[in-house]
Amino acid sequence: MVQRVNTVTGLAREADLDAQLMLRVRDGDEQSFRILLEKHRNPVIHFVYRMVQDRAVAEELSQEVFLRVYRSRGTCETTAKFTTWLFRIAAHLALNWLRDERKERGHQRLDAPRNMADDGELPVRDAPDRAPSVEQRMVYQTRLQEVRDAIALLPEKQRAAILMHKYEEMEYSQIAKVLECSEAAVKSLLFRAYETLRARLAYMVTGGRQ
Amino acid sequence: MTCPLQTAETEILLDYSAGRLDFEKRSALELHMESCPECAAFRTEQNAVWEALDCWEPAPVSRDFNRRLWQRIDEAAATPWYGSLVCSLRQATWKPVIPLTAVILAIAGGFLLDHPGGTSTAPGVSVNEAQQVEQTLDDLQLLRQLDSAALPGGGKSM
Repeated sequence: MVQRVNTVTGLAREADLDAQLMLRVRDGDEQSFRILLEKHRNPVIHFVYRMVQDRAVAEELSQEVFLRVYRSRGTCETTAKFTTWLFRIAAHLALNWLRDERKERGHQRLDAPRNMADDGELPVRDAPDRAPSVEQRMVYQTRLQEVRDAIALLPEKQRAAILMHKYEEMEYSQIAKVLECSEAAVKSLLFRAYETLRARLAYMVTGGRQ
Repeated sequence: MTCPLQTAETEILLDYSAGRLDFEKRSALELHMESCPECAAFRTEQNAVWEALDCWEPAPVSRDFNRRLWQRIDEAAATPWYGSLVCSLRQATWKPVIPLTAVILAIAGGFLLDHPGGTSTAPGVSVNEAQQVEQTLDDLQLLRQLDSAALPGGGKSM
């Protein structure tokens, strides 16, 4: 697993590495593409999954993302950051899928029974003998469903902005480049999105942390 | 420090909740929150949202994801150039083409209904019509001759 580097210098170094790898891919080095794939595959899949909330669709769309990256290898330019370009493709595909899905289904999605099998299991980070109890699992399931519903209710661009801001820890400027809008527009999207989420999820304040 | 909620600079509060503020700004904001209940409440609620979002961990990626991707890449490489063109056209937004095509067909159909003939003919009298007119004129002349013959004193010969 690649550890996230939070310093400005570290991020710049990562971006340079991605650019160098992509230039090698352009020159026919397939191994460099494999390295990029391993590095960015999970973040892309997780982002798309949280957008569309369907595991099979998320993997299908994510494959399309990397397929387009591979197809464009001959004409790629390193003027833009690789992750910006990657997430722009991912956001574009996810937003298109959501729009098509909305047209076909209307608003049935929110009322339709959700498939909890995708991520319904409480992650067990500790040793096996500390597996969660039934009650803990139920609490987790309820909280998770609330979060998924809250995210699903957001307008698509707000959803994309929040997911990139929260889970990918992107700066406002990068989110703006991915969504092809201004930084001020991104801040507005995030402000409204978080305001909605606070109204819906703030009751989940953990005990003792007032 | 001026209140971020009053100056609409809420991204400072978001950055604080996300742990992205530098030490100086964080300290100034925490000092401000001690005397601003609105900002303190914002921090509490935003932290709750943050914790709630933290609990959403996606399922692991399928083990055969990479294999399927390379399969698609190989298939794409094996497709001839016109296949890629067809694929691109399929991916293009084709939906506006359907109503546009319908409109064009409707216009073309209306034009054909107004102009059913294949070749355009000069406006004029057909051969049958000319013969009919000539026949009618002959009949009229014959009738005049008969009328004049019936008059007293006889009629002039034709």
